[in-house]
Amino acid sequence: MLTRIKGGRVVDPANGRDGVADIWIRDGRIIEAPGDTRADETYDAAGKFVMAGAIDIHSHIAGTNVNTARLLLPELHHGAGARHAQTPLSNADWSTFQTGCLYAAMGFTTVVEPAVAPNDAMHAHLELADIPIIDKATLSVLGNDDYLLGLLRADASASHVRDYVAWTLATSRALGIKVINAGGAAAFKCNVREFSFDDVVPFYGVSSRTIVKTLQRAVHELGVPHPLHVHCNNLGVAGSAETALATIAAAEGLPLHLAHLQFYGYGKEGERGFSSAAARLAEAVNGTKSVTVDVGQVMFGQTVTISSDVLRQFNARNQASPKKWVIFDGDANGGGIVPYNYRATDFYNAVQWCVGLELFLLIDDPARVFFTTDHPNGAPFTTYPDIFALLMDRDLRAQWIATLPPAAVAMTTLASITREYSLHEIATMTRAAPARLLGLRDRGHLGAGAVADIAVYADDADRAKMFRAASLVFKDGELVVRDGEVMHYRWGRALAVAPGHDRAIERRMQEYYSDRYGLPADVMAVPATAIGRPEPFEAVPCGR
Amino acid sequence: MLAASRVPVVAGMGADIAGARAAIALAERTGAAVDHMNSDALLRDVEVMRTAGMMLTTPNEARLRADLLLLIGPGLVEAWHELPERLVVRPSVAQADAKATRRILWLCPGGDPTKLPGGAKVQVVGRNRRDLPVLLAALRARIAGRPVGKTALSAKALDALAADLRAARFGVAVWSAAELDTLPIEMLCGLVADLNATTRFSGFALAAPDNALGVLQACGWMTGFPVRTGFGRGFPEHDTWRFEAARLVESGEADCALWISAYRAVAPAWQRQVPMIALTGENAKFRQVPRVHIDIGRPGVDHDAVEYCPATGTLVPVVARNPGNVVTVADALAQIASALPSAGAWPC
Repeated sequence: MLTRIKGGRVVDPANGRDGVADIWIRDGRIIEAPGDTRADETYDAAGKFVMAGAIDIHSHIAGTNVNTARLLLPELHHGAGARHAQTPLSNADWSTFQTGCLYAAMGFTTVVEPAVAPNDAMHAHLELADIPIIDKATLSVLGNDDYLLGLLRADASASHVRDYVAWTLATSRALGIKVINAGGAAAFKCNVREFSFDDVVPFYGVSSRTIVKTLQRAVHELGVPHPLHVHCNNLGVAGSAETALATIAAAEGLPLHLAHLQFYGYGKEGERGFSSAAARLAEAVNGTKSVTVDVGQVMFGQTVTISSDVLRQFNARNQASPKKWVIFDGDANGGGIVPYNYRATDFYNAVQWCVGLELFLLIDDPARVFFTTDHPNGAPFTTYPDIFALLMDRDLRAQWIATLPPAAVAMTTLASITREYSLHEIATMTRAAPARLLGLRDRGHLGAGAVADIAVYADDADRAKMFRAASLVFKDGELVVRDGEVMHYRWGRALAVAPGHDRAIERRMQEYYSDRYGLPADVMAVPATAIGRPEPFEAVPCGR
Repeated sequence: MLAASRVPVVAGMGADIAGARAAIALAERTGAAVDHMNSDALLRDVEVMRTAGMMLTTPNEARLRADLLLLIGPGLVEAWHELPERLVVRPSVAQADAKATRRILWLCPGGDPTKLPGGAKVQVVGRNRRDLPVLLAALRARIAGRPVGKTALSAKALDALAADLRAARFGVAVWSAAELDTLPIEMLCGLVADLNATTRFSGFALAAPDNALGVLQACGWMTGFPVRTGFGRGFPEHDTWRFEAARLVESGEADCALWISAYRAVAPAWQRQVPMIALTGENAKFRQVPRVHIDIGRPGVDHDAVEYCPATGTLVPVVARNPGNVVTVADALAQIASALPSAGAWPC
């Protein structure tokens, strides 16, 4: 089957292309123009933009914490509308099935669930397997687990740590490693209520900094493409910018990714002791080339915060709206579910909204700042089209700013920023750069050999409208969306790395599980045959 | 039968994850309601969580970390036979707080709990299970420093108990919703949350059998809702009264039932005759003969499965102990779905 997408404006920053061209597809891959051969099917893309499928590097779409949020908040979602025979359960609000359809409709084809507890990977992968259309990946969470902290306490060798990290990646079928408030959850179990970068976890005697540095080095030395993904300490509190700056400085030339930086973009200035520190953070990011960040933009409206930062969620529990919450002390991180309503009339929420946009606009390189709302923590991913529009249009930003409390806007630099993102920059931020960051060499671009994950958007001055409903979306070369509607299901894969480990770690883990839990380490396994779909995983190579 | 039915109900739901997914998909296709045979207990915990919130921990954290186990009410060992072995005996491994000895308090066990092994010392507080709701309320009040009236315990004993709980460094309350109503569960969860003002305390709810928690999870991600969800209007609606299987059958609303009990050969308890398709293990004793009866393999015994594991509190893969050539719930339902006249994709 030979498919031709004809005459669209191809925006493909990874290959330095931005102009009218045809894209050809055969057997699920993009190919060079085949000369005289006629296409079996042709799609007219004249007047449309053709981009690679978008990649979301940080969106909480699956796992027990997400599912607990569903069960905690039945009032926030309702099934509705007629049954879709070809896409059953896509009308079930917040279901896995709807998640895949909504992402695909916007032209997203790969999404990373960034917070999977390794002992809960089976559950997360079952949920991911029920998200149709798109490919998925997970980041496994380490850094509050007894095994790693025990290694650090005992001053174990770097190779032992590497083997453990590699074993975790392979066993939990993850694409990378995330650390969430390193040591903070373990400290909270010992009744610690505040935990910063140089604080020490009781009993283990190891600082948050040491945990982060150890994992950063292990991930790097294993050749895992995605650098350590860090959720810093002190999320959300006034003055958290200092923590983020300290963490950025701690990168020390090695790759490090800081998640949802917006939630650390706060200083302590002003009458209320809450101000934007985005300009300082952006300057630090601009000057630290080994660091990448994603934003975690806030948008106004009801949402629910879902985080494995159990300490932070516990401290935020009294801000729950509606007034109910779940706090979970897990085997390692655990997590917390705290519903929250961001209001445009609220001083603090307005500052948060500005901080996110400031970070987008003040960080120079769109290849080092990634597009996220930390779904659903800053806002649901369905707000992405509105955020694209805000980034691309300063007049639209001015309209929004005019509705916010002036005292809040005055604590930020947003009103003075004139930069507008180009489509090329949007494509860099959402396609080319995430593929590179995650080590997905055949994604995020439209060159020959790439996976034919393609989004076609009809040009529209209303950029939010344009990005909300892709004109056409192809997944692995198959047309799955037309005019923003998913036509039928297909089942994606979960992308995972397995950098390899000394087999001795397997015996150690069996002993560890047996001694502690009286269980085999096999309870952690995620066998491909247990997923219930053909070829549920795809290997991503390691090494650099 | 399912195609001709106007109000079908998929009940029992004693199935592994693959079976539950197929059953929910079939319910969606046929406009049926979905319920689990142990929904009464299951939904008590869900109801408390979504009304008031909860603090929870894992059985393994309770096993390794708890310096105080607060056992609540009767039926705990019956609900989880491994409880004594997994929670009472503390493994001797290096761990924060490991030096502290584990105290075990049992509030209103409703019987004699001396059966606990390992010579574990259990301090029983209150014997009569009927006293439990008031004792929980009084205890919560005393922990918050509020006065209380007369209870089954003396004021001195009540205050001593409150002091014990406050003095715990990582306490874990354990309960079984099979034995408690929602209000005592809510009071207990509030008490646990209150204790966290000054110390660490968490809760662990024992799971109902027949993979009830696994089915709850699958129903959650597939529909957004727990069991007792119906698809009669083409989209999922959750209502614990409307979509209770027994009520649908007894009231005559349901005109066809699909009953699933793969873990055990349980038959439905309803009295009214309803055309029934039954997927169960061998030797189920039905009040009425099902029109269709399919013998089903036992998940994790006759075939590999994924199910909720009480020892970890997560979904785990289970390798068949005695693999055989058996029909699984997922297989049977996929075949039934493929024979339905209605068009549509099969999402499993």
